[in-house]
Order: sequence, then structure tokens, then C-alpha cells
Amino acid sequence: MSDVEFQEEEFTTEFNGRTFLRIVAQVRPHWPLFVGFLVMISLASLLDAYFTYLSKRIIDEGIVAGNREALLRIVATYGALIVVQAGIVFGFISMTGLLGERVRFDLRKRLFDHLQDLSLSYFNRTPVGWIMSRVTSDTNRIAELVTWGLLDITWGITNIIAATYFMLSINWRLALIVFAMIPVLVVVAAEFKKRILTEYRVVRRMNSRITGAYDESIMGVRVTKALGREAANLDEFQELSSAMYRSGYRAAWLSALFLPAVQLISAFAVGAVIWYGGLQAQIGAMTIGGIQAFFAYITFMLWPIQEMARVYASMQQAIASAERVFSLIDAVPEVADRPGAVDPGSLRGDVAFRDVDFDYEEGKPVLRGFNLRIRQGETIALVGPTGGGKSTIVNLLCRFFEPTRGTVEMAGRDYTELTLHGIQSRIGIVLQAPHLFSGTIRDNIRYGRLAATDADVEAAARLAGADAFIQSLPLGYDEEVGEGGNLLSVGQKQLISLARAVLADPEIFIMDEATSSVDTLTEALIQQGMEALMADRTSVVIAHRLSTIRRADRILVIEAGRIAEMGSHAELIQARGHYYRLYTQQFRQELEASYEQAEHDPGLAPVG
Amino acid sequence: MTKVEVESLKEIVMENRLQGLWRLMRGFRGIYLAAALAIGLAAISRTAFYFLLRYFIDEVLGQPGMGRVVPLIALGFVALALVQGAFTFLSGKLAARTAEGVALRLRDYLYDHLQRLTFAYHDKTPTGELIQRATSDVDALHRFFGEQAIGVGRIVLLFIVNWAALFWLNVQLALISVVLVPLIVVVSILFFRRVSAAYEAFQEQEARLSATLQENLSAVRVVKAFARQEFEQEKFGADNGEMYRRGRRLLLMHAAFWPISDILCGIQMLAGFLAGALLAIDGTITPGDYLAYAGLLIWVIWPIRNLGRFIVQMSTGLVSFSRVAEVIRQEREPLLAGSYVPPDHVQGHIAFEDVSFAYAGGSGEEAPALQGITFEARPGQVVALLGFTGSGKSTLVNLLPRFYDYTEGCLTLDGVDLLAYPRAFLRREIGIVEQEPFLFSRTIRENITYGVDRAVSDAEVEAAARAAAIHEVIVSFPEGYSTLVGEKGVTLSGGQKQRVAIARTLLKDPRILILDDATSSVDTETEAAIRTALRRLMRGRTTFVIAHRIQSVMSADLILVLEKGRIVQQGRHAELLAVPGPYRRIYELQSRVEEEVAREVERAAVPA
Repeated sequence: MSDVEFQEEEFTTEFNGRTFLRIVAQVRPHWPLFVGFLVMISLASLLDAYFTYLSKRIIDEGIVAGNREALLRIVATYGALIVVQAGIVFGFISMTGLLGERVRFDLRKRLFDHLQDLSLSYFNRTPVGWIMSRVTSDTNRIAELVTWGLLDITWGITNIIAATYFMLSINWRLALIVFAMIPVLVVVAAEFKKRILTEYRVVRRMNSRITGAYDESIMGVRVTKALGREAANLDEFQELSSAMYRSGYRAAWLSALFLPAVQLISAFAVGAVIWYGGLQAQIGAMTIGGIQAFFAYITFMLWPIQEMARVYASMQQAIASAERVFSLIDAVPEVADRPGAVDPGSLRGDVAFRDVDFDYEEGKPVLRGFNLRIRQGETIALVGPTGGGKSTIVNLLCRFFEPTRGTVEMAGRDYTELTLHGIQSRIGIVLQAPHLFSGTIRDNIRYGRLAATDADVEAAARLAGADAFIQSLPLGYDEEVGEGGNLLSVGQKQLISLARAVLADPEIFIMDEATSSVDTLTEALIQQGMEALMADRTSVVIAHRLSTIRRADRILVIEAGRIAEMGSHAELIQARGHYYRLYTQQFRQELEASYEQAEHDPGLAPVG
Repeated sequence: MTKVEVESLKEIVMENRLQGLWRLMRGFRGIYLAAALAIGLAAISRTAFYFLLRYFIDEVLGQPGMGRVVPLIALGFVALALVQGAFTFLSGKLAARTAEGVALRLRDYLYDHLQRLTFAYHDKTPTGELIQRATSDVDALHRFFGEQAIGVGRIVLLFIVNWAALFWLNVQLALISVVLVPLIVVVSILFFRRVSAAYEAFQEQEARLSATLQENLSAVRVVKAFARQEFEQEKFGADNGEMYRRGRRLLLMHAAFWPISDILCGIQMLAGFLAGALLAIDGTITPGDYLAYAGLLIWVIWPIRNLGRFIVQMSTGLVSFSRVAEVIRQEREPLLAGSYVPPDHVQGHIAFEDVSFAYAGGSGEEAPALQGITFEARPGQVVALLGFTGSGKSTLVNLLPRFYDYTEGCLTLDGVDLLAYPRAFLRREIGIVEQEPFLFSRTIRENITYGVDRAVSDAEVEAAARAAAIHEVIVSFPEGYSTLVGEKGVTLSGGQKQRVAIARTLLKDPRILILDDATSSVDTETEAAIRTALRRLMRGRTTFVIAHRIQSVMSADLILVLEKGRIVQQGRHAELLAVPGPYRRIYELQSRVEEEVAREVERAAVPA
């Protein structure tokens, strides 16, 4: 994941006007806030410039003229305006901030809602980390741009305009002399920032490499110790850390040089004000207050120019972020309801695959001309090697994917004529690595039917064989399962996901059996739960346990995208083909495992 | 290979954190003080700017002969800016050097420290925790020196220098100018303290939102299978809304603080202006005095309101310091400590006599991990350890390279107490091949030569790879031996990794070998290849095999059957088989498996 991030840091686009406009369009629903903060920041900037003008008048009309009344008047105005300014500052901070939070909220919501609609294929080819960064950091960058970014720009422009106006009105000749330094400043600032940003990018890259080095060193500490590699490792690490030192130091002192350099350039402007202003003062074209005001206005113009490069860089970043976010928003779900799709009301009846072809990637077919009819209420066991196509059959059945060619029929129709919700809400599925959500056991079982009462939940758990272990927990059904259910064992998670499926009371039941071994008792309970579900329900099981396989009405050996063998257990054993080999091999393994378990814990008799 | 010495940082572990930080700065104290001094000098030259302005207004402006002096004054301003800029730069550069230097030393030390800490420490400390301390906490200290401490210094020095200058101008004015300053400081500290709490709450919610998102993304199949998209959208919406509310709270705090501090600072400033202007009208001070005063006043007041921010940030720096010091406090494994180093290699004669071992930190009530272990392995012999998970097999072999030290009894190598040998020496003499060995994300060649601290020729590497039956696999990769292992390169299977580790160990050529023999999960062809490779490796070395199946122990010179940390049976295969006991039971179980397989097939072939 760190690698993905780091490529993103590298990602800088040219300024893209269309994306920029689309970003700005994000604020449309909140346009009063948007207009409000732009007006407020302009007012604040103008008022700041006017404060400087008031300071000038204190000197010229108060002190130099020796006029107390004028002085008090000006100070009173100044004081009143300080309060007004405070109000404006409150206004723009709250408006800008609020707008930022709203835009963030909207974007996150939009992304999340859209993610729920995207097809499984999207998640198969997109790493979770990538999506996470879109929803978290990229939405932040976009919100920053439409708020503080635009605020900075507006503020900078108003500052420059206001300072220009006041300088021109105090003494236009001197103002023109001061303006001469602007191009120099712009060039110097831009050059500096470019270098500093490049250097910091190196620092960030070094930083992620250093983190990687720490990670590997800790993960591999046993090997390091066993091989006595400590000194050599440190040697290598020091190369990294010294490189980090060099670039970090360089970036830091470049930054430290930036401000003095800008100030030095502005000092020439100050010198010019003194020189030329002094001479002008002699002929009465310039006042003392005017000279002071010029100093202040130079600083006024300085800030925006200084910040310009930084703002531009973050704008570029935000645009790159926005392009990624929009690419997600624009992604079209590959499996979606067709126009006129109907809810079938029930999925009872046979399920049929007709001449189905399927590939995840073009040119790499997984299924070819696949035909299968599953009768209502039948239990089918799918066995065969990994990558043979078992999971694909299940994925097609659940309509997580649709056939590239051919059709799948349910309730007597091509299932693309039905709504996704109509199909998926009637299919119950238990996965190999059962996913639970953080929350209580009760919440997790109820996920199967949200309207279920506590009694329903417990009844489902009893039926699935999960009740006993749940009752043995201190908080029973109110026990927290932890993030992703990681406070429970794999076997327990399976029992809960079975109970969840029982509660959903599906018309078609699909199970991908776990390959990892669980203890004998739990295993027996899981079997019990599965039986409860499979009784008179159309069921398809990717089977790994012999007991499950034996119980199936029909066993399909799937190899290389085809049905290699099909029949009942007895028929297939007699055939002495693929199934016979698979079965005996596995029987041997299961037996060994059960003996080992029995040896380990003599209280339990071996199963099988 | 160069001999690396990293300065010890043990001394920074102190009760008093500030004192610890001071010690951490060893070697940089002078530089850091010079940075502070440079800040002071920069502040003084800024102050001098206003005094030059005063001189210009009062003594030069409007005086006869002004035309000659003005250019000099203008030049003076530029010169002062140059001096100020130079010192500002210097302070930044020196502070950066301190911050980077301290961080570099910490990084190097922590890296070395982590790989030299005991297993006992690594066992109980999560990897993420250690990485965080070595990265984010070190970064926090970097900021402490580079930004926060120096930021506080800058604000304080600006205040002192400019306030002192005000005293010089006019005592009365100087006192009026700071009436509200204590209040500003207090408000600032209070605000930033509260804001940092609100910020933490915000970040907590952000983490929660990410967790919800991640859970949703990894459980995408479950969500789809139960058609729970809307439910998920609501769940995320609730978290999203809470994040919006916390963000808004944070921003409203900012929106309140800045205007309030604006008003406080503004009133203080305006009061100063008024007092100064009145004194100037009275003639108590000159217009030049007033101009200088107005300029200095700004530098006394405005920086103060940021003081709170730096002070609050510094307290988080102190927390990071404690977290880093906590790691540094841990004792390292003394690699070189030991009273006996044989002139040459060891013979490999190992004798356990009533050896016991208990993990430190246990309650003392639980049974020791190993108890009363007695056996002897003569040079070149193969000792097989048989037993279930948790029986103490791994613990026993971990004593040999002194990953853990035995606690009771007597364990000798070539007749000398094992504890007399330095750990580094022992680990050079012992090779370990684990079940799923850790490989580093570098090239295959580098992984093979990882354990030898001498130059190795390509021919030698290839010979080792051939002997380990992995050469053919390596050359089948596009980049051969230069292929990267891991995320950025090829993913090796468990068996392939094991064979790379065998090659690595062959090259290391140890006298004593520890093998974790788990080949049950690989196919027969690979298993044969690994067996051949292992046989080559074991030739002429005292070997300890952690065995999982009877076949791999049958040829051992000595078989130890372990149960709950004790040896329950020992001898050769034939001897053990001759007497009733656990070994025979295990053996019989495995042969019974074959009979049962045959019976099962018969049963299935006759349909019921």
C-alpha cells in the first residue's frame, strides 16, 4: 500500500481545466457558503489594506498635523473596524470550514454509495488500499482546494489589487518603482518552491523506504539473528538513513533560505521607497505616513507571491486526486439491472446453465460451453483442483458476474431479465473465510434478516448449531466479535455465518467450505448447521469435507472449466477415475488428522 | 564489510524527560544554541531597521543636504535586510542540522537496537507498535527540534528584543504595550489545548470511518449476497455524519479563537498607537519615535498568539520521546559476551542433562516449557523430535543458538557449557531451515548469500542452488538470480522458499543444523526434491529435525518423543517400535490409515 501511495505522490498533472470546473461544481449545492466566503475574504483583505491606510492617517493627520480630535476620530474608526474585521474573520473561517466539511461529507457519501453498486469484478481488480485512499485522502484534497485553496487565491488577488490601489493613490510614481520588483519576486519564489517541493518529495520517498526497512527488519528478525547479519544490515540501513539525512537537511535549509531571499528582494523595494520617497517628501509629494504605508503594502504584496507556488502545487495535487476520484465515480457497474427487469417473487424451480462461457480476463477462458441443470431441492457438491472453475460457477450462480456467452436460468427465465436484488436477496451464501462485521454476535446474525426479533436470531443460531458456543461466552449474544470478527476462531465465525444464512431463509443455499481445519466438535456442529440449511433447499457446495461430499445428491468434479465427472458418490468410486483418486487421497489425510487430534485430546473419538 | 559503530543512546533514558531530551542533543547542543543566538541577532537587526527609520524621519527627512545622505540610508536598509536574512537563514539551517542529526542518530540506533533485542521482547511486542515508534515518534521528535522548540524560541526572543527596544524608546509606552499580552498567552494556550483534544476526537472518528469502509470493502461478497447495500449505506452514513459533526466542532473552535485573538491583539495594538500618537502630539516623542514604535509594537504582540500552538505541540513531542525511550530502555542481547571461543569450528557434540526452561514473565504457576530434558547427540548424528504442537519441539531447538537461555540443568556443546559461548559464535556454527522461511525483498542471489560475510562467486551460489534443487526454478525466471523476491518480484511457493533457505544454509556451511521438516503440503515431486536437498545438507552435520510424520524420523540416530515439555520416549526407530508406548501408537495409527482407506472404498463400491 505504501508503494501505491508513493506513486500517487509522484503523480502531478498539467493543469486540467475540465477537471477543475468539475471540482468547483462540487460546491453547487452549497453555493451560498461558497459565494459567502469569497465575499468575506475579499472584504477582510480590503479591510486589512484599509487598516494600513488608517495607520498612515494617524501619522499624517494626527501626529504631523498635531490634531487630537482627528486622531481620536481615526482611532475610533479603527477600533470599530477591528470589531467588524473580527466578525468577518469569524464569517470566512466558519463558512469556508463548513463548506469544506460539507463537500467532504458529500464526496465520501457519493463514493461509498457508488461503491455499493459496483460489481465484484471492480473489486477483484482494484486493491482495497487504493479505494480507501480515494475515499479518505483524495476527498480531503478536493475539499481543501475548493475551500482554503480558493480562499488563498482570492485573498492573494485582493491583497495585490488593494495594495496596488492604495500605493497608486498615495504616490503613483513610487508605486511603479515598487512594482518593478514583482517579476523578480515571482521568478525567485517559483524557482525556490519548485526545488523545495522536489526535495520534499525525495524525503517522502526515503521515508517510506525507511519504514519498509524497519518493517522487514522486524519481520525477519529471526533470520537476522540466526545468520548473525546485524552488522551488515545496519550498514545497509545507514546508507538509507544518511540519504534521508542529506535530502531532509537540504530540503530544510532550502526552505530556510526562501524567506530571507524574498525579504532581501523586498528590501531593495524598501530602499527605493526611502530614496525616492525621501526626495518626493522634500517637494511635498510624499508624507511620513505615506512612506510607512508603502512599507506595509510591500509586505502585503509579498505574502501572496510567496505563497503562490505552494498554492499552485497543492492545486495540481488536488486535480490529480480529483481525476482519481472521478474515475471511481464514473466507473460503471458491469452487472446491473437491465431496463424492465422484474422481481421474480420466488426462485423456486430448476436452475440451469446453458452453454455458458466465462472469462475474468479476455483470452483466458475459465468456463467453456458449460451446461448444468440443478433440480429444485437438489444438493450439488463441486469438487476438483484450485483454479478449475468451482468458484466461478458459484460467482455466476450468485450473479456476481454474468456469463460472457450463454445463459443462466432461474425461475424459468434468463436471470438477466430479473433484478439483482430479486435474485441475491433469495440466495444465502456462506463463504470460506467468513466475513463478520464489528459489532455483537446478535448484530451479525441479524444481518441475514434485519427485521428479525431476538427470538428469531436465537432460533436460527440453535438451528445452525451456534447457540451452545454463544451461550458459553460471558456476554452471550451481546459479545463483540471485533474488527472483521477477529476475536473469534475461524470455526466460530463459520457457525455465526451459518446462523446468519439460516435466518435469511434463502431459497438457494451456496456454501464454500473452509479448507482450514477446525476442532472436531466445531466441525460436527458446522455439519449440523449445514444440514439444517440444505434440507429441501436447492444447495450448491464447494466441498472439501468428505462427509459433505458423501451427503450430496450429485457430485461434480470440475477440472479446467468443464465437468470431468458427475454422479453419486458410489457411482464415482466405482468408476475409479478422478474422483476416486481425490477421494482416497483426502480420506487418508482426514484420517491422519483425526488420529492426531485423538492422540492430542483422548477425550474425543476420531470422526470419519 | 565495514565495521559499524552506532553511538549508544542508553543515557537518554531518564526520569526527567526534558533532561533526557537535552542528553539526546549531545553533539548538537552548541549548534542548537547558536541557532537560538542567530534568531536573537536576526530579531535585533529587524529592530535596528526601525531605529534606522526613526533616524531617517527625524534627522534626515527635510533637512538640508538630505540628497547626499538618503542613498546611504537606503543602502543601510538593504544591508540590514541582508544581515537579518543571513541570521534567519543561519538559524534555520542550524536548527535543521540539529533536528536531522538527532533524527538520523535515533533512526540508526533504533534500527540496530530492534534487531538486537531479545526474542522475549519481540514475542510480546507487535510489529506495528515498534514501527510506529521508530517512524512517527522519531518524526515527532524531529519536529520538536526543527519546528516547535525553535518556534517557541523565536516568539520569545522576538518579544524580548522588541520589548527591550520599546523600553529604550519610552518606558511608559513599553508598559502600555503589553497590558493584554498575558491574557493573549493564556487564551492561546487554553485554546490550543482544547483544539488538540477536539482534533484527537476527530481523528478517532476518521479511523472509525476508515475501519467501516475497509470492513465493507473486504466483505463486499457478503453485502451483495445478502443484498444489504442500503443497510451499509446507512451505517457508513452515520459514521460519515459523525465525522462531519466533529469536523464542524473543530472548525467552529477555530472560527471563535482567531477573531477573539484578533480583537485582543487589535485593541492592544490600537491602544499603543493611540498612546504613542498622543505622546507624539505632546512632543514627548518625535514622529520618528512613533514610527519606530508602531513597527516594533506589531512584533511584540502578534507572534504571541501562536505561542499556545507550539507549547501544545511540544507536549506531544514529549509523549513521543517517552515512547522512544521506552524501547531504548530494553536490554539488548549481548552477542559477543561469553568466556569461551574455540579456536576453530565446533565438533557438534551436544549433551542435555536434566535441562529445564521456563519463559520469563510467566506467572510462575504454569508448567515450564521444557522439563528434565536429558539426551546426547554426537557429532554428525541426526536427532528427530516428534510430538504435537505445543509439546516443546521448537522451544528445545531454540535453546541451541541461545535464542533463549536454558534455566536449569546443564547443556554442553563439545563438553563446554553452552552459556560460555558468545551468541554470535554459536549462530555462525548453527544453520536453521524453517518450515516457511522468511525471505527478504531483495534478489534471489542476495537471499542466498545473506548469511555469509564474505564475497561469494556466482559459481558458488549456483552450486549451492543446485544442491538445494532450486537452480532450475531460479533460471526459469526472466531475470534468473537477479529476480526480486516478494511484492515487487516473484512470489515463491512455500517449498521454493524452503529450498532457497537450504541453499542459503549450504553456503553458510554450519556444523550444527536445525530443520523444520514439514513437507506434507507440497506435491510428491517437490517433496522428493526437498528430501534430496535436505539429505545433502545434513551430511556430516549434527542435525536436529522437527518432524511431523513417522517417515521422516525412521532413519534418525535418535528419536525424542516429546509431550508437554518432557521427553516421554527416546531411542531408535526399531527400539521404540519394539516396546508399547506413544511412538508405537503413532506408528500404528499411520499404518491403520491405509487399511481404512481400502475398507472405505470397498464400502462405497457396494451401493447400499
